[in-house]
Amino acid sequence: MKRLTLITLFAFVLSLSASTLFAADTFDLVIPLPLTGKQAKFGEMMKKSYEIAAEEINAKGGVKKKKIVLSFEDSGAKPETARAIVEKLIDTKKQPLIVGEYTSSCAKAVAAVAEERKTPYLVVASADDDITRQDYKYVFRQNAVNSHYADGLVSFIKNVVKPKTMAILYESSAFGNSGADAMEKDAQKIGAKVVLKEKYEAGSVDFKPLLSKVKATRPDVIYMVSYVMDASLLMKQIKELRIDAKLFAGGAAGFAIPEFIENAKDAAEYVMTASLWCFKMKQPGAKEYAEKYKKLYGDYPSYHGASAYSALYVVKDALERAKSWTPDGIRDALRATNVSTAFGAIKFENKEGYQNQNFMDTIVLQVIKGEHECVYPDNIASSKYIYPIPTWRERR
Amino acid sequence: MTSVQLEVLLQTLISGLLLGGLYALIGIGMTLIMGVMKIINLAHGELMMVAMYIAYVLFSSFHVDPYLSILIAAPALFILGILLQKYLINPVLKVEAIIPENQVILTVGIGMVLANIATIIFSSDYKTTPVDYATKAWYLSDYWRESPIELSLSMPWSVSFCVALVITAALWFFLTKTDMGKSIRATAQDKDAALLMGVNVERMRVVTFGLGSALVGSAGCLFIPIYYLYPDLGGQFTLIAFVITILGGLGSTVGAIIGGLILGVFESLTATYAGMGWAPVGRFMIFVAALIFVPGGIMSLFRKRRLGK
Repeated sequence: MKRLTLITLFAFVLSLSASTLFAADTFDLVIPLPLTGKQAKFGEMMKKSYEIAAEEINAKGGVKKKKIVLSFEDSGAKPETARAIVEKLIDTKKQPLIVGEYTSSCAKAVAAVAEERKTPYLVVASADDDITRQDYKYVFRQNAVNSHYADGLVSFIKNVVKPKTMAILYESSAFGNSGADAMEKDAQKIGAKVVLKEKYEAGSVDFKPLLSKVKATRPDVIYMVSYVMDASLLMKQIKELRIDAKLFAGGAAGFAIPEFIENAKDAAEYVMTASLWCFKMKQPGAKEYAEKYKKLYGDYPSYHGASAYSALYVVKDALERAKSWTPDGIRDALRATNVSTAFGAIKFENKEGYQNQNFMDTIVLQVIKGEHECVYPDNIASSKYIYPIPTWRERR
Repeated sequence: MTSVQLEVLLQTLISGLLLGGLYALIGIGMTLIMGVMKIINLAHGELMMVAMYIAYVLFSSFHVDPYLSILIAAPALFILGILLQKYLINPVLKVEAIIPENQVILTVGIGMVLANIATIIFSSDYKTTPVDYATKAWYLSDYWRESPIELSLSMPWSVSFCVALVITAALWFFLTKTDMGKSIRATAQDKDAALLMGVNVERMRVVTFGLGSALVGSAGCLFIPIYYLYPDLGGQFTLIAFVITILGGLGSTVGAIIGGLILGVFESLTATYAGMGWAPVGRFMIFVAALIFVPGGIMSLFRKRRLGK
């Protein structure tokens, strides 16, 4: 028994010395993520994407000859847990840089900790406007904020559709409200009159009363902010009522995922939606990453994965340029970032009241022959948009 | 009234009636159980959810049309209802409890267990049965070319409505013309008198619970082609059934039909003329108004008049 303890002790000491010995050759990065709970699906996707990126970087010699070693901590999408994880990482592990999290509430909590402890934090997929509007000097965000989410779509509407009237339907939640308010402002900017702006209870069975009211106002554009099941029901019932508009548009969320097409079937055809990323867009690296992901895990990733994958390249770029691998050294390097990634070009700017925010072109997807295609802006489009769209009567 | 306004009004009424017919079928099951057993079954919506999952599995694995799956789901729910009544609710009914309504609390528990089992088996993802005829509709202008207004009648909604009518008619026939139906009604009217007349009250209760479950089960099968499915869907339909039961009068099947139609039309009208965000408010307004002004439900109004004559 005594001998066994001795051997274990010896092995332990050996492994300890080994790990300190090799520490010089690696860069350890612990990433907080939701791996359980409601958001686990996205957390998983991001974890897989970080891993793909790390593998690629290490295969090409790592960062300054050091291998990136990733590990993950589950925050369960709970801000208090995320906060505790990050405090531990900064205070005891002395990690000079924080990357990760998904939900906006967690990212907010993490940003506060990072700023307080003067450690740079790269936000990957949290869209709440406030995160980069608080005069934080150590918080960087590479994904677009909520109020700029539909920029691409708005520019399409302005340049191609040129509508006189618009109807906005949205679910009665914080997400629906902010999306609808942003679009209302954008509509005024491009000279379209909002003839109807109405909310509905998510999970409603029958939208037809609301839709017949929409029909009576004959809007040029019908813009909807909904999650996937409401989005499918809305389009199905629009088809049933034969409401013809020049454009049916969705504010991402429910409209941009494949389940929307599966559920709404032919009613989904020609519907456009704002999005941040699509594996079909002409962005160097996007397709390669998506195919690799599909080969490994069986389906295509959404923008969450692409952003996570690219975040590690942003980190690699910053680490290579950083004068020292201290929090401040890395922060200065991040500030000067100007790279092209699979997610898009990334550059952190201070403007419109945001600090260290990346302003990217958001894209427009259209459902063409039962598949989402990237149709706008033209330079990255995977296929030409279909406009004007046929009326419901013609579609039979 | 311009033709556009007329169109909106008529289309709203059509949707309201179609929705109301389906609501009625959900409500009847609850009101039947309420009438015979004097308890509110708060697992009602969850039973509907179970039937919808049966329809979903039949559709996705064996390509059975959701409407045909009524033939399997309704009997399955009948058996489930009988088992619940026999082995869970009846024992609790017999026990002397601190709170008199402990069987109601038991039904809440049953509902939670059912919802959680569904989450474990099917995960909390949304499920649908994408049928080919999901967005098929009939249009007035196809039949009458010069029509000044355009009205549409959705095919799956109409089919669901008609099937609901058939089921309701069959139930009415069962309750009024068959021996067992009469026994059930006797039990509902006066349990002790029925017992003295030789009705097997215990058995009638079991059958009623099964019947109520089968009814809401078939409502589930009618809902799934036009809606979708997730484990927590039960609550909102329990609520609707509850409002209809109160509105129609406790234990009155005709009342439940009228109550369902009123609720459907009222919800549609509020959605059109007050805003769709107000629809849940409208539902509770009806509920409170019914409790204050017609505490016995709609059927009590008819009864009073008949007595007056």
